[in-house]
Amino acid sequence: MKENQLPKNFESFADARKQGFLHIKALKDAGKNVVGTFCTYTPAEVIMATGAVCVGICSFSDETIPEAERVLPRNLCPLIKSSYGFALTEKCPYMYFSDLLVGETTCDGKKKMYELLGELKDTHVLQLPQTQTDEVSKEMWYKEVLRLKDRLEEKFGVVITDEDIKAAIKLKNEERIVLKELYELSKACPPPISGAEQLKVLYGSQFKFDYNVKLHELRDTVAKIKQDYEKGERPVSESAKRILITGCPLAGATEKVVTAIEESGGVVVAYENCIGAKTVERLVDENEEPYKAIADRYLQIGCSVMTPDTKRYELLTRLIDEFQVDGVVEMTLQACHTYAVETQSIRRLVQDRDVPFISVETDYSAADSAQLKNRLAAFIEMMA
Amino acid sequence: MMDQNFVGIDSGSTMCKTVLFRGNQVLDTLMSKTGWNPRLSAKQDSDLLLERHRLSRENIVFATTGYGRETIDFSDHVFTEIICHAFGGMHLVPGIQGIIDIGGQDSKVIKIINQKVADFLMNDKCAAGTGRFLSMACDKLGIELESIDEFVNLDEYSQINSMCAVFAESEIIGLLSLETDRSKIMAGVLQSIAQRIRQMIEKLGFSKELPLLMTGGLSRSQALMEAISVATGFNVITHRYAPFAGAIGACVCAHGRERQSP
Ligand code: SF4
Ligand code: SF4
Repeated sequence: MKENQLPKNFESFADARKQGFLHIKALKDAGKNVVGTFCTYTPAEVIMATGAVCVGICSFSDETIPEAERVLPRNLCPLIKSSYGFALTEKCPYMYFSDLLVGETTCDGKKKMYELLGELKDTHVLQLPQTQTDEVSKEMWYKEVLRLKDRLEEKFGVVITDEDIKAAIKLKNEERIVLKELYELSKACPPPISGAEQLKVLYGSQFKFDYNVKLHELRDTVAKIKQDYEKGERPVSESAKRILITGCPLAGATEKVVTAIEESGGVVVAYENCIGAKTVERLVDENEEPYKAIADRYLQIGCSVMTPDTKRYELLTRLIDEFQVDGVVEMTLQACHTYAVETQSIRRLVQDRDVPFISVETDYSAADSAQLKNRLAAFIEMMA
Repeated sequence: MMDQNFVGIDSGSTMCKTVLFRGNQVLDTLMSKTGWNPRLSAKQDSDLLLERHRLSRENIVFATTGYGRETIDFSDHVFTEIICHAFGGMHLVPGIQGIIDIGGQDSKVIKIINQKVADFLMNDKCAAGTGRFLSMACDKLGIELESIDEFVNLDEYSQINSMCAVFAESEIIGLLSLETDRSKIMAGVLQSIAQRIRQMIEKLGFSKELPLLMTGGLSRSQALMEAISVATGFNVITHRYAPFAGAIGACVCAHGRERQSP
């Protein structure tokens, strides 16, 4: 496929993680508190309401894995090893500057890693239920959200007022609306942006800490893309096969999956996984009791750590239709048992709709790039 | 278009397979060791094949596949092995529902519905269940890959339990040190490969009433095919051109593509 011309803003998002390193230090020097998070289930609004900066901890690179493996078993999900490795090596400025880390009892590997992480940094672990619709789970999660509020208030010596939490909810909702607007541009056929570009914005936007600036830039980006498309610019070929990516969180090292798809005549139109739609879809109800509304919203996120994972199935089927998807690629990370087992149900779900499906397992090394390319190229060829 | 000559090259990790193809028919075939330079062997073999038929390289459509495909700089069309083995297999046995290919580096099972690839599974993470595993075993047992059929007796075999090729190698060494009959060990090796293939076949789901086609160089081993038949309960068939299925498929795909965009 031909090289795509980038509108200016993509680079700003691609750079955001690095730029953020400087910002976070400046914010810290100015007396701001920083809270590091790992997972889509973390209720960011509660953190934001304390006035603290809420930031996703680096966990998408293999550079700290050898260090981590001195403590953790080798045969463990690279995301878990990478996160822990960044704490151990102090290579992630976000981790380094964090006053508090917030994790959840998601998969077994993460849950146990947080115990070790707690020895290095102040870590608060939320007990996430494993079912989503029953009253006991809802009640428990609501209480966990309140417990986080108490913990943060105590740690930072602040009181979260009703206005604080409502303002945070509003801001976060606004961000979701514009991010959704951005990735929904790819419903167009051909899409106005490549999957690599979409990912840059989705991933990068979390490292822009000034919400006003961030929202402004995001809106500009959306407007610019629309404008170019209306002028007739078609950076992506009409014949490119429209791919949806699902599975484990994807960014950094695993962008090789996106590259392999887009170098083989495909284009990623939608990301169902963390980073993509599942983190963004659904707003917090602004008319409800704030903490209740927050708890409700987050507990409805689909993930293989839930059983049964009906929310993932629902979102996946909806995205397949809405984005007119030609094929679904699932990426699982090595040693991620919950996703690997769920592959069977996802395969059935997708194939029952007559949509081609492939699942690829990978890690953070570059060793399998050629194999990935081979498989994904074959997958795209088979749709021709 | 009917008179167009195609040369299909399947540049595998061990063997390079080349075919001359015209009017939807295989005219000639050639197989050689890939060697250290896949581009060179592809060039030499295609030259040789064309010479035999007094053809010059001009006006030939070159279609390539296999591990070495990206290095072959004279290709007009490049395809992955999956699609080539599928279309090659369909060319050899029209209406076939599935294809098993055990290559040097990987093994794959392809499912075909309505003349299209519907799904495939590939084992390329681990040497167990691939040709590499088989040649390692041959090395250890001191027999030629080509002669396993004369050597082996499937009725009696020593179980090889390891799922990993490296550990399986130690198992073989262990069995040899107990002076186990080599034909029994070889039978165990074939069993172990067949079990790997069975897992893939069962995941994809095929109709038991219909056969599966085995392609690739190892389809010449009756013993291996029989081991797979027994392990899976499927009638596993082959074709005299099955080792060339990839190269033939490349020609079929190139033919289709040329028709689409003249
Ligand atoms: S995949 Fe599940 S556990 Fe992992 S970050 Fe996303 S929501 Fe959390
Ligand atoms: S990818 Fe899987 S194993 Fe890794 S942290 Fe997420 S749920 Fe756990």
